[in-house]
Amino acid sequence: MLRRVKLNLFQQFRQSEIRLHELNYLFWECTVRCNLNCLHCGSDCTKIASVPDMPLPDFLAALDTIEHKTDNFTIVLTGGEPLLRKDIDNCGFEIRKRGFQWGMVTNGFLYNSEMQNRLLNAGMGALTISLDGLAESHNRLRNNPLSFKKACNAIEKAVTATRLNFDVVTCVNPWNIKELESLYQFLIDRNVKAWRLFTIAPMGRAASNQELFLNSDQFDVLMKFIATKRQLHQNDIKFSCEAYVGKYELKVRDVPFFCRAGINIGSVLIDGSISACPNIDRNFVQGNIYKDNFFDVWQHRFDVFRNRDWNKTGICATCNEYKYCAGNGFHYRECNNPEVMVCRKTKE
Amino acid sequence: MIIKFFFKVILTGSVAFNTIFVKSIPMKPKWIRRIIGGLSFTTALFVFQACYGTPQATGSDVLVHGKVTSQGTNQPIAGIKVSIDGQDQWCTTNQDGSYFLYTEKKPAINIRFDDENAVHNSKDTVVSQVNDEVVVDVILAAR
Repeated sequence: MLRRVKLNLFQQFRQSEIRLHELNYLFWECTVRCNLNCLHCGSDCTKIASVPDMPLPDFLAALDTIEHKTDNFTIVLTGGEPLLRKDIDNCGFEIRKRGFQWGMVTNGFLYNSEMQNRLLNAGMGALTISLDGLAESHNRLRNNPLSFKKACNAIEKAVTATRLNFDVVTCVNPWNIKELESLYQFLIDRNVKAWRLFTIAPMGRAASNQELFLNSDQFDVLMKFIATKRQLHQNDIKFSCEAYVGKYELKVRDVPFFCRAGINIGSVLIDGSISACPNIDRNFVQGNIYKDNFFDVWQHRFDVFRNRDWNKTGICATCNEYKYCAGNGFHYRECNNPEVMVCRKTKE
Repeated sequence: MIIKFFFKVILTGSVAFNTIFVKSIPMKPKWIRRIIGGLSFTTALFVFQACYGTPQATGSDVLVHGKVTSQGTNQPIAGIKVSIDGQDQWCTTNQDGSYFLYTEKKPAINIRFDDENAVHNSKDTVVSQVNDEVVVDVILAAR
C-alpha cells in the first residue's frame, strides 16, 4: 500500500519535472574512436573511426548558447573512449572555466596517475569506470586480455581522489552473474563507495549476440542481489535507471524509475546532432548544433521525450503499470517499432 | 498545510492526492518539485545520473592560477612544479610562467613551488579564505 502511494506521489514529481524541462545533464560524444572492441558495445565503436572527433570550439559554441545554467549542471564526456582525445584535459578545462561541472565515462585503459593528475587539474569532478566482472569474464566481454588489469589500476587510482564523485559500473550478463558476490567484495576491498549495475541492451554490436542477455530468472537473481546488499549499507550499490522493475522498485534504487532522457538530459553527438542520451535511436534527433541554436532546440523541441503517450503501444498499451514506467527507458524504443525492446516489469 | 496534505495522501491514496493537491494549491512547478521531493524521498531526486553516465559532479573545487617570475631577471620561469600540499596533484608552469589548476576547495590551501632544475629556491604559500578562483603570483629567488 505504502509502496503504491509512494509511486503515485512520485508521478506528481515526474510531471512537474516534465513541465520544468530543466537541462541539468549534458552528454558530449566527443569521439567515437575506441581502444577496445567490446562485444556488448552499444555504439559499435572502432579504433579508427570514419567520423573525426568534434573540435572543441564547436562544442563550446553550443554550450555558450545556454542562457540559464542550473545548479549541479554536469557535462559528461563520452564516446567511444574519451581518453583517446589528446586534448581531453583542455576540453574539460574550457568546460569548467565556463562554470559547468564535468565528468567522464571511461574503460580505464589509459587512466593512470599522470592522466588523473591532468584531469583533476582541468576540474574533473565525476568519473565512472567500467568493470564487467572478474578477470576472465571482464576480458572476454571487453575482448582484450589486459583490460581487467588496466581497469583495476584505474579504479585503485580513482578512489584516491577524494574530490571525485566516482563510481564503478558493471554490465551484468550471463558470464558474470555468478561473480556478483565476489565482485562486490572485490570492490569493497578497494574502497569503492558506489557501484551501479545494469544489463546489456540489445543494440549496437550486442544486438546480434543473444548470449549476452539475462533471462528472467537471472534478472531476478540480480534484483535480489542488489536489494539484499543495499540493506547492508556497506556501499552505495544500485540498479541503473535503465528500466522499470515492477516489484523491485524502491528496493534497488534510491528513487523510483524515471527516464529523464530529453526531460533533464540532453546530448551533443559526434556529428553535432542534438538529442537526449547517446544510446537512443538516432532517428529521435531534435536538431544539430551546426544548423540550430542548441539551447533554442532544447527549449522548444523535445516534445517526443516530454510527452510519451505515443509509446503506449504494443505490450504497453494494456499494461496497468504504464503510468509508473511511461514505456520504459527511452533507449529501449525504436522510432518505427511500436513494441518496446525490453520490458523488465517483474510481477508481484 | 503541506504536511497535512501529505498525511492525507498516505491515508487516502493517489487519486485523492491528485485532486486535492493540484486543485487547491496552485503554485509554481519548482515549488511543487521541492515539496514533493522533500516530503516523499530524498535529495537524490535532484542529484540524478543518466543510466550510462557519471554521477553528478560535486563542484567543490577552486581554480588556482598565477604566474611565476624570477627575482633576479624579472622574467617568467617555465617548468616550475606547482603542487598542492596534501593532494596528489601538481602542474608545471608554461613558457610564459603561468599555471592553472583546479583543486579541492578548503579553508586554507598550501601551494608549493619547486624548480626541478635547482636554479631557484623553492617556496611555500598558504592561501586562505578561498573562493571559486585564486590568483597566486610568485617570485622565486635564484639559489
